[in-house]
Amino acid sequence: MHTSVEQQTLLQRRPPLLEFKGVNTYYGELHVLKGVDYRVGQGEIVCLLGGNACGKSTTMKTILGIVTPKSGEVVYAGETINKLATADRVKRGIAPVPEARRLFPRMTVLENLEMGAFTRNDTAEIEADKERVFGLFPRIKERLKQVAGTLSGGEQQMVAMGRALMARPKLLCMDEPSMGLAPSVVEQVFDIIQEINRQGTSIFMVEQNANMALSIADYGYVLQTGVVVLEGSAQSLRDNEMVQQAYLGEMKAQ
Amino acid sequence: MTAWDVFLQQVINGVSLGAMYSLLALGFTMVYGIIELINFAHFNVFMMGSFFALWALQAMGFVGQSHILYGLPLAGVLLLALLATMLGSGVLGVAIERFTLRPLRGVRGTAPMITTIGLSFILYNIILLGAGADSKNYANPLPNTAWMISGGATLRLREVLLWVVSLLLMLGLHYFVRFTKMGKAMQATAQDQEAARMVGIDVDKVVVITFFLGSALAGAAGLIFGLYYNYTSYIIGYQAGLRAFTAAVLGGIGNIPGAMLGGVIIGLIESLGGQYIAVRWTDVIIFSLLVLVLVFRPTGLIGRAAPTRS
Amino acid sequence: MPEPHLEPSETTPPAAMIRLHSWIPAIRDRAKSERFRPWLYGLILLFALAFPYIDGNEGDIDSAANALAYAMLALGLNIVVGFAGLLDLGYAAFFAIGAYTYGAFSSYQMQPEWSSFWVPLQWLGLVQHLTPDGGIGTVHFAVSFWLMIPVSALVAACFGVVFGAPTLRLKGDYLAIVTLGFGEIVPIVARNWPYVTNGAQGLSGVTTPKLFGYDFSVLSTPYYYLGLVMIVFLIFVSTRLKHSRIGRAWLAIREDEIAAEAMGVNRTRLKLLAFAIGASFAGSTGTFFVAKLQTASPEMFMFPVSVMLLVMIVLGGIGSVAGVVVGALVLQLLQSWFLQDLTQWIHALGNLTGIVFLQQLDLVQSIELIFGIILVFMMLYRRQGIIPERAAVTALSYDEQNAMPSRRSIEARLAPLHRRTIDPSKPILEIKDLAKSFGGIHAVAGIDLSVMPGTIVGIIGPNGSGKTTFFNLITGLTDPDRGKILLEGEDITGLKPHRVVEKGIARTFQNLRLFSNMTVLENALVGTHTRTSTGAIGAVLRLPRTRREETAARDRALEILRIFGNRLIPRVQHLAHSLSYANRRRLEIARALVSEPVVVLLDEPTAGMNPTETLELSDQIRSLRDRGVTVLMIEHKLAVVNEIADKVVVLDHGEKIAEGTPKEIHSNKEVLRAYLGRTTDAIAEAATAS
Repeated sequence: MHTSVEQQTLLQRRPPLLEFKGVNTYYGELHVLKGVDYRVGQGEIVCLLGGNACGKSTTMKTILGIVTPKSGEVVYAGETINKLATADRVKRGIAPVPEARRLFPRMTVLENLEMGAFTRNDTAEIEADKERVFGLFPRIKERLKQVAGTLSGGEQQMVAMGRALMARPKLLCMDEPSMGLAPSVVEQVFDIIQEINRQGTSIFMVEQNANMALSIADYGYVLQTGVVVLEGSAQSLRDNEMVQQAYLGEMKAQ
Repeated sequence: MTAWDVFLQQVINGVSLGAMYSLLALGFTMVYGIIELINFAHFNVFMMGSFFALWALQAMGFVGQSHILYGLPLAGVLLLALLATMLGSGVLGVAIERFTLRPLRGVRGTAPMITTIGLSFILYNIILLGAGADSKNYANPLPNTAWMISGGATLRLREVLLWVVSLLLMLGLHYFVRFTKMGKAMQATAQDQEAARMVGIDVDKVVVITFFLGSALAGAAGLIFGLYYNYTSYIIGYQAGLRAFTAAVLGGIGNIPGAMLGGVIIGLIESLGGQYIAVRWTDVIIFSLLVLVLVFRPTGLIGRAAPTRS
Repeated sequence: MPEPHLEPSETTPPAAMIRLHSWIPAIRDRAKSERFRPWLYGLILLFALAFPYIDGNEGDIDSAANALAYAMLALGLNIVVGFAGLLDLGYAAFFAIGAYTYGAFSSYQMQPEWSSFWVPLQWLGLVQHLTPDGGIGTVHFAVSFWLMIPVSALVAACFGVVFGAPTLRLKGDYLAIVTLGFGEIVPIVARNWPYVTNGAQGLSGVTTPKLFGYDFSVLSTPYYYLGLVMIVFLIFVSTRLKHSRIGRAWLAIREDEIAAEAMGVNRTRLKLLAFAIGASFAGSTGTFFVAKLQTASPEMFMFPVSVMLLVMIVLGGIGSVAGVVVGALVLQLLQSWFLQDLTQWIHALGNLTGIVFLQQLDLVQSIELIFGIILVFMMLYRRQGIIPERAAVTALSYDEQNAMPSRRSIEARLAPLHRRTIDPSKPILEIKDLAKSFGGIHAVAGIDLSVMPGTIVGIIGPNGSGKTTFFNLITGLTDPDRGKILLEGEDITGLKPHRVVEKGIARTFQNLRLFSNMTVLENALVGTHTRTSTGAIGAVLRLPRTRREETAARDRALEILRIFGNRLIPRVQHLAHSLSYANRRRLEIARALVSEPVVVLLDEPTAGMNPTETLELSDQIRSLRDRGVTVLMIEHKLAVVNEIADKVVVLDHGEKIAEGTPKEIHSNKEVLRAYLGRTTDAIAEAATAS
């Protein structure tokens, strides 16, 4: 299944920051994730592709600790974190940018950002990170006093990302960052994601927009009804016929 | 007394009642804001609080209203009683959450509410069986000092004291919620529990603290009740509960300033209604107001999201 | 991933409970077996009939008669709380209404002055003319007890409708509070309206019933037998209602109101019906009770009574007819027969051990405490009660779930799915300038669409483009800000969801909204709600017409389930939440089809299915078109859309940006931009290069 080029790429992958080893999760009797293995190397952008109801959100929830696997291990920075509470995972450096943003609707943009740093005590560094966020998202700086519930979709996405960055995470987990956004905004957002990665944060991203995701990712997994059916470097996935057919819209040879 | 004096007197009474109802409504509305639970037991925590304070005062040697204090000793005694009841009620509230409500978190439907009804019954029956059905004369060191205002109406020291205490407690809560880290965590949890988890907030801890604070305020309201009326009994939770509940709904359930406003409005309705209509119809008026608000303006006067989702 | 509405497992009960538990299944299994059941009931009935002769004690019979009254109340509350899922904390109000209605009109309470107005009523036997001192005289109300039983039921039901109409749309907890409010207001009114109710002192001198000259007076035994007759009747009515179209609709509302409405159930009407019927039970019980006690006072109807009834049904088993009767009898008889003795024993024990607390404990006085403890205990450890509402069927194994569909039913597949004749030359669905905004966001921003009958229209677009909102607008779940929706030329804009189903549009939900605790068959049967018409009375009488209707509905449901071959049919008695994900999607589609729609809206029907399942379902959807159903389908899998859609509509940001055949859509640049983002050029290059 993998070409020799990919085997080389595999060997060249960075040491793992996050790993799923044979993870099985259930919703009551429903077997959602069926023995999945993922690996996010330090400094990588890894994307998880798949259609609706394939287990993508459950993967995200498992990383965050909202769902506990029935078997298998979730390993972060060498530590098995299956039983660790969400708050503790955030303290260890995993920050989520949830689907549908989930800002605190009645707090201002500034207050939302400050909530992102909830687990931290280093005031000076927090201020530095605030400046960093303003640098990445200049639009946010203009709207600090605005109540979060009144922002547009794209602005909310940026605040959500900013809020996650305020935790100074090692791993940023993004759930469908392109959802509901206009194409131009999506491009901006993905540019920023790349910049964040360049500044040193590893990124794990769940996306339906395979094209955008693969254009910035290093590695990708394709999930279907709870099983990883395909994985490889982003380039190999882009070239892969199955992926093109399923997600890139039959552009070839029509 | 002229008609104006009568009116003024009732306004004074109403504000005093309102202060008490506000404190009660606050604790209730805080819990609802965080976990969307209608906690019937809250009002009997208030009742227990008034007993805790009574027992504390009795332990300090006060019996009935025979022993009066002034100035600093008075402040000291009251402070001790307040601490006793706030601590006792707070712990009671936390115990209720920990052992009977937390296991039911996430259970769909009205099971948690039914549980609080059961708890409510347990609490007031414990007092009824243990302390008897008769009203207890309250141990009250407050002097009876009063001032005449506008010719006919009187303003008593105890009323001023109670307003001040209530106001301080409410301001304290407001400050806590708005400016402290835990307070912001409470706000965040009330606005979006999942998102709160995602920024690292320990939601369980927030719930415990909310219950503690809310119950402590209820306890304080219990002490105020005893000092104001000079009695307490097992049934006061049931009676005050309806009014405080309506106050919370009126102000918009989950809304803290709303609870304060609602409390004062209900207090005024009770006193003015009692004066100008009839005491025996007060319950009907307040209940009708409750029904009307829920049916026609469920968000309350200043409330937030409407409670009509299935 | 959609979240099924599962009840989380109960908190683990203490070890002692578990040991006790092992006896109970044995007894339960016996009682559950169908053959044994009639014998069991017969035995119980025989014992009940013989009881006054077995136990000659007047006091015991009296308590038993009272217990029967409370059991009747519990049955009524069970309809409101158990069947329809509406928490009513003020049920005692209806009890009071029934009591005072008879009491006021059969005692010496109200005595207006006599006039010629009352003569016809005197002729009917409803009033008497009293002239104690000569002169004009007064009216003495002497309405017959037997007449009042149904009349007070009716009066209570009317009050139920009056209380319910403005309040039943409130959320569960708020509804509970409002009902608590009503429950408080009624005794207060009773206390403060002495003309009718004699205030706090209560009515006295209520006329006792007379049957063929035999006066019940103060003996308990006639009331006991009357109570027995009444409760058998009410049990009969409850059971009939439960296993009927109405009961099914109530259960659907209890499970998921929104989905129920989207399947054609008129929520408001059915909730009111439950409320009114429940109230009527309390009304006639009130009459019974006040006649037996010959008095009625406000204390008998206050909040603790409502709570006691709640404890009875929680203890017995919410929703279970047998359960609530058992719960009521247990609690009442516990209070009247056993608590006294139990207290003596505990005192003796206290004396023996010297524990002061036990010596002074009075269980009779602590009954409310016991109620509170029961409520908390049951909620924490056994929410389903002593006799749970239904026994769950165990789930199948994974292999059994994935049995292949049989190919036998080809002929059946060609029969039309609905009974209407559609004009093939006119559009079946027309949408004109449909728009909806939420806050500042234009979810749907002016869409025009015309759908020809017998076609499959694929609706595609990026996440958040307004597709589901579009469906919600068509089906009435959301009201549009502007625009029109025409079905076969008829304007259906703004109709409530159940009306839209009546008109012929059915839907499925993106995140699955099945009735998890109902069986596959029951889920499908809910779909027949709009095509059947048996009401509450028909449900109780179960005339041949009703039976025919039920059989036809069942046949219809099974016929639709058969579309999915062997997937669903072997599982018709299994609870919906135990199905595999793919089967649950199929069930939701089947449920929609059962209502004989001319247009069906499928929201991501193949989501979560693997390629094999997707292919199978695509085939089945295609066959729907051949059977006369027009399909609108939101899909993310472009392959599916390409395969079966006649027309494709592309939405983006609430607007229609393209419409055409799948081929046309593919080469449309706008679509490419919306979907695929900036690397379109790279893709296009790759495409041309290959």
